[in-house]
Amino acid sequence: MTSTACFIIASRNDIPIYEAEVGSAAKREDAAQLHQFILHAALDIVQDLAWTTSAMFLKAIDRFNDLVVTTRSRNRNKGKAPTIKVDFLTNPPVTQSLTLEHGIKSFFQEVHELYIKILLNPLYLPGSRITSSHFDTKVRALARKYL
Amino acid sequence: MANYLAQFQTIKSTCAHLVIAVEDVSDLWPTVKNSFEEQLPFKRASLNNKTRNPVFVENLPAEFILTTDARLRSRFPQEQYLFWFREPYATLVLVTCEDLDEFKTILKPRLKLIVQNDEREWFIVFVSRAHPSNDNATKMAKKVYAKLEVEFSSKKRERCCKFDVHGPEANFWEDLEARIMECVRNTLDRRLQFYEEEIRKLSEQRFMPIWNFCNFFILKESLAFMFEMAHLHEDALREYDELELCYLETVNIGSKRREFGGLDHGDDQAALLLPGNKPLTQIVQDDSFREFEFRQYLFAYQSKLLFKLNRPFEVASRGYSFIISFSKALGLHESILPFCMREVWVITACLAVVNATNSQYNEGNAPPEIEREFYRLQGDLYSLCRAKFLRLAYLIGYGTEIERSAVNSALLSMLPWPKPAVWPLVPDNAASEMILQESPRVKPFGIERKPLALEPTALIREANRRRASLSAGSSSEMLDSKQSFGDGSATDVSSKTSPSSKAQAISMPRTYSSAGNFEGSIDRPMKLAEIFVAAEHALKQTISNPDMQKALSSIQDIEQKYMDLTKGAADNYHRSWWKRHGVVLDGEIAAVCFKRGNFDLAAKSYEKVCALYAGEGWQDLLAEVLPNLAECQRILNDQAGYLSSCVRLLSLDKGLFSIKERQAFQSEVVSLAHSEMKHPVPLDVSSLISFSGNPGAPLELCDGDPGTLSVAVWSGFPDDITLDSLSLTLTATFNADEGGKLRSSSSNVLKPGRNTITFPLPPQKPGSYVLGVLTGHIGQLTFRSHSFSKAGPTDSDDFMSYEKTTRPILKVSKPRPLVDLSAAISSALLINETQWIGIIAQPIDYSLKGAVLHIDTGPGLKIEESHSIEMETYRSVDHSSTDTANSGGARKDDNKGLEQLSLLDGKIEFPDWASDMTSILWIPIRAIDDKLSRGSSSGPPRKQSIVDRMRTIALKLEFGISNNQIYDKTIALHFTDPFHVSTRVADQYNDGTLLLQVTLHSQVKATLTVNDAWLDLQDGFIHAGQSDGRPVSAFLPLEISPNSRAGLLFSVCLGKGTAEDEIKLQLESILNIRYGIAGVRTIGAHPPAVAKSNDTESTSHDLIFRSALILQRPVLDPCLAVGFLPLPSNGLLRVGQLVTLKWRVERLKDIEETKVPQNNDEVLYEVNANSDNWMIAGRKRGHVSLSTKQGSRIFISVLCMPLFAGYVHPPHLGLPDIDEANISCNPAGPHLVCILPPDLSSSFCPVVAESNSNKSQSHCHLFQSFLARRRDLLKETPHAPLIVIGRPSQLRSSPNAYQRLEDLDMHFLEKKATAVA
Repeated sequence: MTSTACFIIASRNDIPIYEAEVGSAAKREDAAQLHQFILHAALDIVQDLAWTTSAMFLKAIDRFNDLVVTTRSRNRNKGKAPTIKVDFLTNPPVTQSLTLEHGIKSFFQEVHELYIKILLNPLYLPGSRITSSHFDTKVRALARKYL
Repeated sequence: MANYLAQFQTIKSTCAHLVIAVEDVSDLWPTVKNSFEEQLPFKRASLNNKTRNPVFVENLPAEFILTTDARLRSRFPQEQYLFWFREPYATLVLVTCEDLDEFKTILKPRLKLIVQNDEREWFIVFVSRAHPSNDNATKMAKKVYAKLEVEFSSKKRERCCKFDVHGPEANFWEDLEARIMECVRNTLDRRLQFYEEEIRKLSEQRFMPIWNFCNFFILKESLAFMFEMAHLHEDALREYDELELCYLETVNIGSKRREFGGLDHGDDQAALLLPGNKPLTQIVQDDSFREFEFRQYLFAYQSKLLFKLNRPFEVASRGYSFIISFSKALGLHESILPFCMREVWVITACLAVVNATNSQYNEGNAPPEIEREFYRLQGDLYSLCRAKFLRLAYLIGYGTEIERSAVNSALLSMLPWPKPAVWPLVPDNAASEMILQESPRVKPFGIERKPLALEPTALIREANRRRASLSAGSSSEMLDSKQSFGDGSATDVSSKTSPSSKAQAISMPRTYSSAGNFEGSIDRPMKLAEIFVAAEHALKQTISNPDMQKALSSIQDIEQKYMDLTKGAADNYHRSWWKRHGVVLDGEIAAVCFKRGNFDLAAKSYEKVCALYAGEGWQDLLAEVLPNLAECQRILNDQAGYLSSCVRLLSLDKGLFSIKERQAFQSEVVSLAHSEMKHPVPLDVSSLISFSGNPGAPLELCDGDPGTLSVAVWSGFPDDITLDSLSLTLTATFNADEGGKLRSSSSNVLKPGRNTITFPLPPQKPGSYVLGVLTGHIGQLTFRSHSFSKAGPTDSDDFMSYEKTTRPILKVSKPRPLVDLSAAISSALLINETQWIGIIAQPIDYSLKGAVLHIDTGPGLKIEESHSIEMETYRSVDHSSTDTANSGGARKDDNKGLEQLSLLDGKIEFPDWASDMTSILWIPIRAIDDKLSRGSSSGPPRKQSIVDRMRTIALKLEFGISNNQIYDKTIALHFTDPFHVSTRVADQYNDGTLLLQVTLHSQVKATLTVNDAWLDLQDGFIHAGQSDGRPVSAFLPLEISPNSRAGLLFSVCLGKGTAEDEIKLQLESILNIRYGIAGVRTIGAHPPAVAKSNDTESTSHDLIFRSALILQRPVLDPCLAVGFLPLPSNGLLRVGQLVTLKWRVERLKDIEETKVPQNNDEVLYEVNANSDNWMIAGRKRGHVSLSTKQGSRIFISVLCMPLFAGYVHPPHLGLPDIDEANISCNPAGPHLVCILPPDLSSSFCPVVAESNSNKSQSHCHLFQSFLARRRDLLKETPHAPLIVIGRPSQLRSSPNAYQRLEDLDMHFLEKKATAVA
């Protein structure tokens, strides 16, 4: 099974602070931009949806032809706007979409923990780009594990 | 039952209202018809819905139909059940009767007959035709009506009402409506029950073979229709929903291969909002309906009901999902449908839903969330429509016109091609069609970017695969055949080989070189151009709507339609606050505007897109749009915008553009900067050129010092860039307004990456400074950069939301003493001698390199030019130990000895060695004072006025890096004579010889040696004995240690004669002292500096001190003596007792004629006494004769009486004519005599004195009681009244007052009165 998946962490101001193409399929040259575009547009939906639910995991919020946008937003308690949005774009085969959703959920959870570790780093300025290669490898490993 | 379908349709179309049957028993209807029908529709009805809950319906329409009417009569009972909804809901029996008998015999049995039919809901309206004036008739009518009520109404239910033709009662119509409604409600309930029962029965058969959906549908829709007639739209909608569910189930489960439908002409136009598009009989198929038509039919009814319920939002939301799901269904049957039917249908469906909902939607009625959601749906619908439209446009060969933007690519590249069973062929007559294609647009700046795909797979392969004639061969076969094409289109498949060939393939020319070539060979794969032509023709056949056909007919029409759709989507997304969706579509609008040459609009829209992407930091996306914006701005000649766009392009992530492209951006900027710009524009390059101070501690400067500040500047330009000027502002942290501007001297070339630029720093105000704004010029372009980064040119946008950590780059310390100049000497120096003053120059953590000291002596002070100035390191006594301890390396410098410096124009330049250490400067000066010091007569030495001998020296030290620091100090110097001289006459002999003691107080902190001393005497004095006036020389030299005293004795005698001869009178004696001094210059007075030539003799050089003394001749003796003679022998004076006081005046010597002007021997005397104490009898003042001879004496006596007991001053004898100096008094000062109180035997009361003296009120009372007591005792004996003498104020008040009450037997006498007496 080949899949393409793009993973972006957006900061509070919708600025992407981390992005990774974690799919197993051969990377299309134009894919990065396309995925960025789709995920960026999905922020519109997140912005609406985040207020309607208290769950962090927003499930599949958008479907763009074969690509599914799954989002998890963080820290929306106490009436604050979400401080971090994680967009995830996958093109799951229809039959496996349910198991994949579980996978994505766990993936999000683990990545979130990683992100918190990054956040705890005093040298990391919250909202700036995550450039840690360690984080990158970990995320990719997690992606292989769950997707 | 399916046969009834047609009938059902007709019935449905004919009856639209509830029917109320009118049984006109007495032929009354024509007369009352109008007034009855006026009441329709019913204002307010309460009905039960499906769940038996009351629902209020307003304006319920209904129709009255006579039972004799053909519509109600010609029905079979079978039909009645099936189409029960059209049957009357109530039966209204109209009767009249004027006679009771008639009622009983005729009417009653007839009514009973009508009423016995239970199925009907009936009620009776009794019409009274009796005129109100006709009492009889009215009464009769009432009676009949009463009878009627008894007969037909029950307690449970009123079934009668009375209608008066000549003026119905007020509440009749309400009654009537209520009756009718009751009937309608009951009928509805019953029929509902019936239908539900039927439906339930049918539903149970659903999985049996006999199941017929048509029957189910008729029942269900009948029910729904009934609800609709009763205006119970909610329930009707629910029925339709259930019907849809049930139908979908049937469709999905049914194993039978069914016809899908959609093959008729005009089916491509969505009919999802047209309920009566096709009669149901046309779409029935076996026991069910064709899916294509029937689902649209259901949706049409649902939307109709929703619109009636005023819920356009729901129509839109249901419509959207319906279109999506229906599109899927179409996709499943794509092979049997006409070419691209699916796309066309979706387009029309979307537009239909959008238009219908838009026209129904009233803005502002819905809550805001719903409104947003509604607009979002509209946007979605538009967007969907747009995607499909783009796909069609691509298929007919307008792919090149489609902007290959991310949004289009995302929409299209994952959207599969239409999959017709057979790809359409090029019709013969279309072979010559040709569309000339323009070459693909070249991106501005020569950006080579692989265009985004608009196609899921290569169209040519897909099309050829689906050709009937060509077996769906393997791709290798395809590739083989491709090789022979030799055309640009051939490379389409091998698109992955290189981006350039792909780019070529995109051009998709519809031109073909060999037109006649392909017609014959049917097996040959189609060329791309052929595919387009074929698709266009096929589409023309598919599309039935002329508008739609026109929209796809030419590039202009396509563009127009595309614009409409895009604008619609964008507007709606903006309204729904989905700004990202909206703005992206704005970008598409901009692309079209750009193509049309409407650059102004294009630029505006592009700006919006760029702002969004830049604001949120999505650089990949920004990199796609920004070049377009720049291009627009370039064409519009918006230099400012263009430049800033170029800068933004340059400041994007480096990976997004190739180096060549980035260089192109830079060259654009540079060339524009050096070209003639009409209005030089400031350009913000914050993201491109960033700067920061050097890491580490900030540069620290002292106040007023210039410096150099080096700043790291990062250039984001790909190449070196020459800056014509560069300046940097500093912002003070204490005050934002403060700050300086630094200018880099020369033009700089910024390399890519980090550059270090040094700015000369003029003196700044104290405080700490942070970097402000970097400004500069490239050619005529002014640029400025606000950002400064910590470590490098990181993405500034990311940090915008966080507080910048501003690190001070420069600290200018508050003005503090940088150097200290002080005098090295602590005590006074010798005046009028050349003295060294030491000036300690102490640098305080600051270098004195190149310092220059200006010396300006004050008045009375002179620098001895003959001597050179000496300088040496200063070793303070208390610091020397620590200095040597901790600075081993510096010890060599410490030992720097004396260095001779020369004074030039009052300036001294410091040697280098003195720059860091405390040094001392010795300056030879001389304080000049013409005045001779004066000796004082005996007593301790008076403090000499300090100001008198103080001199000031003004020092100005210029130091610092460029001698900018100035330190001014005025040092006060004290000068003094070596001695202070005081004199005293130690002894005086009778022969006029005086022994003069001269005391020398040492004034300096140095040992003085008196080598010689002599007195030059003034006139009137001569040295006694020896003539030279020197003290005994055996004691000399005399050493006087600091602050000690020494004395010299001179014997002088009064002499005269010599002085009178000389013309010049010497009024003062001069004391000359030749002395030597042994002092250290660091402490104070020291031997005066001498010129170098005299250096050897300096020790033997003695100094002369001169001091003026004034000697006075001794004063003469007194010539008169006044003595107070002792008091009488007993020596006791009593108050009131007369006493004679005596003075003896004696002439001590002859009065010289000159001194006493009056030559007679009369002496004026005067006795002064305190009148309170003494009463003087006799003369107080007078002349007595006193012989002028020496030794003559007289006595002066005065009689007086003391008035006051105690010690008092006696009267004093004065001689007013004679100067007091000539009188010797004995006793010399005032003295006291003791006055005793008067004797007790006298009638004076001792208390008087006491009370007088004490002024005590209690004593006064005592005194009065005392007087009273005395009066009582003397009552019997005759006596004189007591005389009370006293001060009036104190005493008279109380005893006198008292006497008014009681006779005290006394006379009050004022004391003054006694004196007068």
